[in-house]
Amino acid sequence: MTEPATIAAIAVVTVITAIISARGIRIARTPADFMVAARQVPSFLNASAISGEYLSAASFLGIAGLAMLEGLGALWYAVGYAAGYLVLLVAVAAPLRRFGAYTIPDFAEGRLESAQLRRAATGIVLVICGFYLLPQLKGAGLTLQVAFGGPEWIGVVVLGIIVTLGIASGGMKGITLVQAFQYWLKITALAIPALFLVMVLHHPPIGSISGAAPHTFHQRTTIEFPQSEELTVTRSVVVDAVGQLDGTTLDGPVTVATGTHTVHAGTTLIFPAGSSAPRVHDSPSLTAQEWTSPLLHLGGEPNHPLAATYGILLATVLGAMGLPHILVRFYTNKDGQAARRTTAFVLLLLGCFYVLPAVFAVLGRLEAPGLYVSGQTDSVVLVLPRLAATGFLGAALGALVAAGAFAAFLSTSSGLLISMAGALSHDIMGRGVRAFRLSAIVIGVVMTGLGIFVAGISINVLVGWAFAIAASTFCPLLLLGIWWRRLTWIGALGGLILGGSASSIAVILTMVGVGKTGWPAVLLGEPAIWTVPLAFLAMVFLSLATPRALPLDVTQKLLALHLPERVRPPAPRRPELSPDWASQPPEGIPARATRT
Amino acid sequence: MTTTGPPPREVVRSAPRRASNRPLSPVRDDLYQADAYGRELLTSLMRAQAGVSLAVLLPAITLLAIYPLLAVLVPRLANFEVLGLPLTLIILGGGIYPPLVLLGYWYVRRAERLEQRFVELLKEK
Repeated sequence: MTEPATIAAIAVVTVITAIISARGIRIARTPADFMVAARQVPSFLNASAISGEYLSAASFLGIAGLAMLEGLGALWYAVGYAAGYLVLLVAVAAPLRRFGAYTIPDFAEGRLESAQLRRAATGIVLVICGFYLLPQLKGAGLTLQVAFGGPEWIGVVVLGIIVTLGIASGGMKGITLVQAFQYWLKITALAIPALFLVMVLHHPPIGSISGAAPHTFHQRTTIEFPQSEELTVTRSVVVDAVGQLDGTTLDGPVTVATGTHTVHAGTTLIFPAGSSAPRVHDSPSLTAQEWTSPLLHLGGEPNHPLAATYGILLATVLGAMGLPHILVRFYTNKDGQAARRTTAFVLLLLGCFYVLPAVFAVLGRLEAPGLYVSGQTDSVVLVLPRLAATGFLGAALGALVAAGAFAAFLSTSSGLLISMAGALSHDIMGRGVRAFRLSAIVIGVVMTGLGIFVAGISINVLVGWAFAIAASTFCPLLLLGIWWRRLTWIGALGGLILGGSASSIAVILTMVGVGKTGWPAVLLGEPAIWTVPLAFLAMVFLSLATPRALPLDVTQKLLALHLPERVRPPAPRRPELSPDWASQPPEGIPARATRT
Repeated sequence: MTTTGPPPREVVRSAPRRASNRPLSPVRDDLYQADAYGRELLTSLMRAQAGVSLAVLLPAITLLAIYPLLAVLVPRLANFEVLGLPLTLIILGGGIYPPLVLLGYWYVRRAERLEQRFVELLKEK
């Protein structure tokens, strides 16, 4: 019923993206043209573009899903994602634009004069973007699964192919106009269904969320189990079952007794209205007070919640400045002051957007307890409109949300893949169109393969890790590089290696299941709380120990960072630009690729 | 950098940039010299800018850090309701953003004024 509309909506988003990109390519044919165009990009449009590239699967699906599962404390992710732009605004935006560096490796090399540092920064770009790309692919898998059924990996492969082909053919550049369009599409695709749901749903009053446990099905509820689950039934109930329950193949009504039962993958259970929802074996079941607590419950457990909350705040607030695919956008500002205004607008746009996931989380808890049972809370944004409305309206709302979600994956993953392919081809594979295309294909294939294996991890948690690594590496590099004269390349390199490896190892250990309780779970699951200070300390002390490695013209570099454009000499010095820079078009694609 | 006497002749290919129409300021050149005075000017500019940044960051950090802390010290906060909605939902679901946006707006204005003053200071000398 909803499938044709959803297919159409996803196709329309992809085609519009391709059309605007193609037009954009004609406008921005050479770097010089791009520069002229960049000077004409108004701050508000530019801010829309940054927000469009920034709001990924995590913001569109993940926050609502995680807040529904682990409580309102998970909304700190959203607060951190937005507040990160305040730090970026006051500490990074204007100086970085004035310095004229286009990517973080450019900044590292330009500011500290070290090719080794540049290579390390390139490696970290690949790691951060890689961690960030996985949840986008997972989100696409989820979206197609909700719309069409079937296994999750299909969507992963579909998005992987679209983005890889799009980038490798040079047909999907991160043009400002496309990304700006994607922001407005995303906020519309959440706001209209949210308004509709709040007005139309006959949900219990929102206030009741802090009252009795909400795990009761208000209406006849169909639950599909894409993965096997263990359910604990608290009161025996007659369900309609299609599939396998406790090893028996069923097709019709069956009485499920109190106790623990195994539901096999692919089974569908239909619960009658008024029945109490079963508990899922390893999924948290929070009381109302735990759910409304403003603290992060890692995995749904109240486990050193203050440290976990501060950990995620530190990661998101400081990680936002270290996202390679976002920083690239600041180059399209006219000057430092324009960069500041743009960033302030981004803060406004994000603040408006992040009201919506909270609405979906609350409605999901009240209206869709079935998602707790099937372990699919990440899909709450996609499922709710389909639950609330039937017929044409349901199809239209479902298609709108799916389109917005797909816009989120497309914009963010194309930005990420461009950054990764640009970094890989520029610094490792050799320059030129062919190297760029080859890099894009290699990365696309590898990431799609990895994307199939992350199905069990929450979207938002994956993105949180990308932020934790960014906060432990590029954040100290940028902050100290901009504000501290005595930073040396040896100090910066040591800090990058220490912070990057510590946070990556912590994240990988958590992924493979080390440290599930107590302090290890917090320190490995939210590593930013110790790896960020570690990276800062390493950079400061190593730099103080190696004063001879200081660049000779450090004053010139600080001037390039901080002097307002109006008081610069007529011919500004740009010592930071590597000689081949001028031939590198801004989106990371070699100039010739755009000229065909 | 400062030229004395008549400027060298040159072929005009495009409209002159505005910056080159202004007389070069000797103080600006001081900035570009690696002597103590130039460094002093740069340091004072950086200090002033960092001051404005910190004036925004400190309230922002307080704003973010205080609510989780209060929730640990006063666990009953989670039950607190305003207009029938949980307080957490009101704060984290939207209430925290307006002050952050206002802080950002205020920073942009302060930073632009600071730079204006710095530019005027260089012109005066």
